Amino acid sequence: MSRVVVIGVGLAGLTAANRLAAGGVDVTLLSKGIGGLQLGQGTIDVLGYTPDRVTNPVLTLAAIASSRPEHPYAVIGAAGVHTGIEYLKGLLGAKLLVGDVETNYQLPTAVGAIRPTCLASPSMVAGHVRDGAKFAIVGLRRLKDFHPKLVAENLARSALPDGAQPTRSKRSLFGDPIAEAFAKQTPGHLEVRHLSVDVPARENEIDSSGLTYARAFDDPAFRARFAETLRPLLADGETVGLPAVLGLNDLTAWSDVAEKLGHPVFEIPLPPPSVPGMRLNAALTAKAKAAGVRMVPGSWTVGFRAGNGGILGLSVAAAGAQREFTADTFLLATGGFESGALNLDSHGLVTETVFGLPLAGLDAEPLIHGDYWGAEQPLFRVGVRVGRDMRVLDGAGAVVHDNLYAAGGIIGGSSRWAEKSGDGIALGSAVLAADSILKELS
Amino acid sequence: MRKLAVDVVVIGGGSTGAGVVRDVAMRGYSAVLVDRADLGQGTTGRFHGLMHSGGRYVVSDPLSATECAQENAILSRIQSSAIEMTGGYFVTCPGDDPAFADKFLTGAAATGVPAREIPVAEALRNEPRLNPGILRAIEVGDGSVDGWQLVWGAANSAKVHGAQVLTYHSVTRIDREGNRVSAVHCTDLKSGTDVVIECNFVLNCAGPWAGQIAHMAGADPVDVIPGRGIMIAMNHRLVNRVVNRCIYPADGDILVPVHTVSIIGTTDVKVDDPDNLAIERDEVQQMLDAGEVLIPGFRNARALHAWAGARPLIKDKRVSAADTRHMSRGMAVIDHTERDGLDGMLTIGGGKLTTYRLMAEHIVDAMCDKLGEKRECRTAQENIPGPEPTKNYVVTHRLEEREHDRLDEQIICECELMSRRMFTEALAVQPKGTLDDLRRQLRLGMGPCQGGFCTTRATGIALESDHIDIERANGLLRLFLKNRWIGLWPILYGDQVRQTALDNWIFQGTLDIEHLPQQMSEVAL
Repeated sequence: MSRVVVIGVGLAGLTAANRLAAGGVDVTLLSKGIGGLQLGQGTIDVLGYTPDRVTNPVLTLAAIASSRPEHPYAVIGAAGVHTGIEYLKGLLGAKLLVGDVETNYQLPTAVGAIRPTCLASPSMVAGHVRDGAKFAIVGLRRLKDFHPKLVAENLARSALPDGAQPTRSKRSLFGDPIAEAFAKQTPGHLEVRHLSVDVPARENEIDSSGLTYARAFDDPAFRARFAETLRPLLADGETVGLPAVLGLNDLTAWSDVAEKLGHPVFEIPLPPPSVPGMRLNAALTAKAKAAGVRMVPGSWTVGFRAGNGGILGLSVAAAGAQREFTADTFLLATGGFESGALNLDSHGLVTETVFGLPLAGLDAEPLIHGDYWGAEQPLFRVGVRVGRDMRVLDGAGAVVHDNLYAAGGIIGGSSRWAEKSGDGIALGSAVLAADSILKELS
Repeated sequence: MRKLAVDVVVIGGGSTGAGVVRDVAMRGYSAVLVDRADLGQGTTGRFHGLMHSGGRYVVSDPLSATECAQENAILSRIQSSAIEMTGGYFVTCPGDDPAFADKFLTGAAATGVPAREIPVAEALRNEPRLNPGILRAIEVGDGSVDGWQLVWGAANSAKVHGAQVLTYHSVTRIDREGNRVSAVHCTDLKSGTDVVIECNFVLNCAGPWAGQIAHMAGADPVDVIPGRGIMIAMNHRLVNRVVNRCIYPADGDILVPVHTVSIIGTTDVKVDDPDNLAIERDEVQQMLDAGEVLIPGFRNARALHAWAGARPLIKDKRVSAADTRHMSRGMAVIDHTERDGLDGMLTIGGGKLTTYRLMAEHIVDAMCDKLGEKRECRTAQENIPGPEPTKNYVVTHRLEEREHDRLDEQIICECELMSRRMFTEALAVQPKGTLDDLRRQLRLGMGPCQGGFCTTRATGIALESDHIDIERANGLLRLFLKNRWIGLWPILYGDQVRQTALDNWIFQGTLDIEHLPQQMSEVAL
């Protein structure tokens, strides 16, 4: 059986590993840390800002693909993203992700901004902002990462990005009539109030993390206690916004809370640890294991061996001794600076830390500037360049190693966090890389 | 308009001004201190945290050395909770002249600075990260000091003695009646109110800005030459003692353990405008190279934050104006009566934080002489109020406090172990404060994550306190992140890039902080 080594256990690595294993190859998934899904917002972004707010992500990314040749979407393309999104939805199902690639949800964040995202947990989508909605934002007094007054007062004074948009529906790919229409309309408004309740996740603990609360919400008895405390404080017609801690393992916890409250609820993602991200991570990991992917956590790559135009083996510092993984094909899905996949040293030298690959985007001058609220920092657009088959290219456009592919944040050219494109890039490049590898190996 | 009448107006809320207002108040004068910003926001908050033993000056400036040694002993007693008695080493690094250590020991004996040579092996055993190639090591009584604790301690002591402290009051005009200073006009920047303070005497303690203040009173130009120095805070305590190079004072020759970090400094470049201090890339590189000499592998350590301060050096005819390192560090009291025919005002420049109390004693003595009064200075005898007035600071103190209150208090800033109560209490005292004003007292956002996790918590809690509205809350958040970045981007490499990426991921990615409702105007103070 052909062997593939995937390096990195974020959305790109997990998705590619699943698809490769399903395609009948032997997959080893090396990971150094916990994977990026557990640090992010736990929804699936495709494109949120261009910098204008995006309502139809797949349509807008097609425009980016043609106008910004350095952007990963220029090689991934709308079709690649579409394939990736549909693959993930199929893999995880509607208990974890809902939505479609032609419409962004506009969801409240934990500071009360309204954030566009493409797919979201069903536990979040009642928060999609719409004119006339009545939200009650509810905090937990012992959870310090969610301040309901901050969320509520910012939401209350926000002009809604898509005005009177009443429902989500399929729309034409040949224009974005909704966006055009709403640009002309009077913006809508929300009616938002805030309150806090004190329901301890653990007795005598004042400083409980989101994860602690999520585990508590897995327990039906805790949910009942929580609902009894909150229900009398709610008014008719209110949709309840809560921190995204409504269950870690029990995917029905949120709907049970809604039922017990007698009100629709929505979760608002918190800074790390990301409970919604952990749910996605757990599901993708379980799927990968079930498909036969061999997972080797704690694998720090320390060197590689190349020859015959390709990578022959990858050395990993594992418990006990250094060990080499050999394979027919390698897929680099290590992320960017945030995961240590890229490093900037004190002399100003940027390196890709596994294979020392050539990097694109280093010619920006300066790479870092002093205006925090100004233009995007070019440093965070640095990354490798890939061809349409997701093989890593050098500056001249030539393949660096015949059997080395890349997916996700290691691909340069985008401001993933600002434009909310990281997950679409990860998914599109992961499925394209997996499909290229399967084709090459067959 | 608001009117006040006092004996003495002290201009400048750095260590000198705070020391002076305390001294003036303790001698029984009514006094008010004004500063255009927060206390310790200028030079006092932008130094490397060194409480000199005097060792640095035993060869180059014997008088300063003696003053430092004496003041070090006084301050570590009267202001114990602001000072950590770390001890210090002067080490001869490979390539340094080993004979300087002999001059050092001779100078130390002559100036009364306690010092003794210790075996190199002992120094390396106590500070294992030190360059193993060091040739000689001398132990001295250096310490580290929190400049903000120091200045707030002195200001609070002054208040106990009846003084008023008006921060964010910018001096707009100084009135004279004939040849005598008669009133100081200020604007309260937070409220926009004008304040007129009638007075008998003005003590100009504005440091690098002293020339501008003297000019307002109509004095001939006072040549204050701001000497810019940059400092870099490195994550963790790479050393637990102050480590100095045993050479003539030079750039990057000191590494100071302060709280949870170690600070390397500093450079010395003449600048024209103390309000515009750049952190130049080549100076950062120079500091990292200098650190590498003291601690091999220094460049691989994580740099957290950099800042620049301006020394308030008074121009000395003996050296060229461009060479600020060799300009007198000694304090200088400028008597405007003799110089400009202007009565009722003295200006003080030079000096150093370690001798801030002594500087105050000198200028207030000079004022008493002018007024023909004999009032004794008592500032060396009375302890300054602090959290634990008889115990010196130890780096583990917050950990101990959190161990005690962990079941009752949330930790809002994990890096610096700041509890929710610490934040809300400081906010109640300074309800109009910015997050940076609170940071200077609490160390909010000063650890490895540089505000990544605590900024939104602090904003949320401040909003819930009802001291501020949502517009100001968002503005404070934006201002804090902007200000943190000023000290981050010039030293961004290695793990701090990774941290910044995570912070961007949180702020831009998860919270979409750039798309909060549009501010009507940015919050500046």
